[in-house]
Amino acid sequence: MTTASLAPISALKNVYRFRELVGMLVARDLKVRYKRSVLGMLWSLLNPLLQMAVYSFVFSTIMRVGVAAYPVFLLAGLLPWTLFSASVSMAAGCLIANASLIRKVAVPQAVYPLALVGSKLVDLLLSLIPLTLIAIWFGRPPSASWLFLPIAILAVVCFSAGVSFAISSLTVFFRDIKHLVDILLQVWFYLTPVIYTYEQIDHIGNRFISFALRVNPAAPIVRCFQLCLYEGRFPDAATAAQAMLWGVGTLLAGLAVFLRAEPRHILYL
Amino acid sequence: MSGRVQLRGVGVRFRMYREKVITLKEAVLQRFQHLKTADDFWALKAVDLDIASGESVALIGHNGSGKSTLLKLAAGVLQPTLGTVQVQGRISPMIELAAGFDPDLTGRDNVFLNGALMGYSRKQMKEKFDRIVEFSELAEFIDMPVKNYSSGMYARLGFAIAADVEPEILIIDEILAVGDEKFQAKCMERIKSIRSTGCTIIYVSHAMDSVRLLCDRVAVLHHGELVFDGAPEPAIAKYRELQNFHPAR
Repeated sequence: MTTASLAPISALKNVYRFRELVGMLVARDLKVRYKRSVLGMLWSLLNPLLQMAVYSFVFSTIMRVGVAAYPVFLLAGLLPWTLFSASVSMAAGCLIANASLIRKVAVPQAVYPLALVGSKLVDLLLSLIPLTLIAIWFGRPPSASWLFLPIAILAVVCFSAGVSFAISSLTVFFRDIKHLVDILLQVWFYLTPVIYTYEQIDHIGNRFISFALRVNPAAPIVRCFQLCLYEGRFPDAATAAQAMLWGVGTLLAGLAVFLRAEPRHILYL
Repeated sequence: MSGRVQLRGVGVRFRMYREKVITLKEAVLQRFQHLKTADDFWALKAVDLDIASGESVALIGHNGSGKSTLLKLAAGVLQPTLGTVQVQGRISPMIELAAGFDPDLTGRDNVFLNGALMGYSRKQMKEKFDRIVEFSELAEFIDMPVKNYSSGMYARLGFAIAADVEPEILIIDEILAVGDEKFQAKCMERIKSIRSTGCTIIYVSHAMDSVRLLCDRVAVLHHGELVFDGAPEPAIAKYRELQNFHPAR
């Protein structure tokens, strides 16, 4: 616990030892977030619904994207994207917000970004309730392919945690990242097939867009959700493998960046 | 019981950034011209300190002398720039008794959160919970957010948790000073009884009477240097001499 013996394995063990703390930090976030709000946790259900209602109106009534059961398609992609973008956007301020704890309590700092992703995961799980209702309403009730959901969720959680680790650590040293992240997330959102389908964008035939689609780690992950929830079929092996590899690879890379810089965070907070 | 802390040639350097507003242009120019934007500040310089199992050691020194920095090293919050720090035994990882409190959560939630920050499971804290509440005498306020607590109530709950988690090395800071007389006396009794079990205690305070009462050894820090390490009376005399302060008796 003292001198710098930061072998990754022992660092991971240390994080695992504090898993219950991560749970409590998630609970803290939810409690504080919904305190004194009349609807409380219902907001976690309402938020994606309202977002979906707005996008549906704009893109199926005004712009006419021409996708059947568009609200179901939209929600299937919006849930993982929201988990990712909300985690990463908040990760930028995550260590800074917990600076008083970091300066006074010696626990592995990885618990803070993990708790952040954890609380967004709770939001996603709650959002599955309205998603199910809407899917039934539009005639696409849950089928066997929904069994793939845990794997898809694992992929998006790993990916979001990896990026959040890196961003939360880097922001401590370069505060500008906070501002940059939100803009990049917006660009990234429009480059990822969430409001339009994968096929629609691939058929445009623009070389740059097609290239961006193939190297975009968020694309296969979001597509896994759309395939199993909206199209009602299991993702093909290639898509599933890409999603999982991006998820695990990003997690390991992000964690490595984080653990390397961890002892120096306190000097810049 | 094996609560030992060993510091060898420890130095801690902070970069003091000048808090002046600079324009982007200046920031870019500084990058390229390698202008110095930070001053080095050594919060601790070449400190050697051994705290053996079962000792109670007080750290005294002026504000900014390096007491908190030393606690941060012992607790593992901070790594030394130079030298080595070795800690044997379970140390409370907090340098302040109420460091983990979240003002928006209730006293009850904070007991469990603080416990988790110290590495205790919810189950373990459940066993301790009633004792903690009883000691703190806060039963009627325990389901109230702690931001509504007075600073004395804050201290009560913080101490009650720290005293119940059985570390092998206990760090006690001056937060106790805000408790009322009766509670302070109760804390002193508790600390003495913890001490009698062989627990190592590191005590930081500006209240010299409590230092005399609790500790058999006192380390004096002065501008980051360990200038005295020994019996309480000569240590307190040295500390006051360095401050050029002689309280009226």
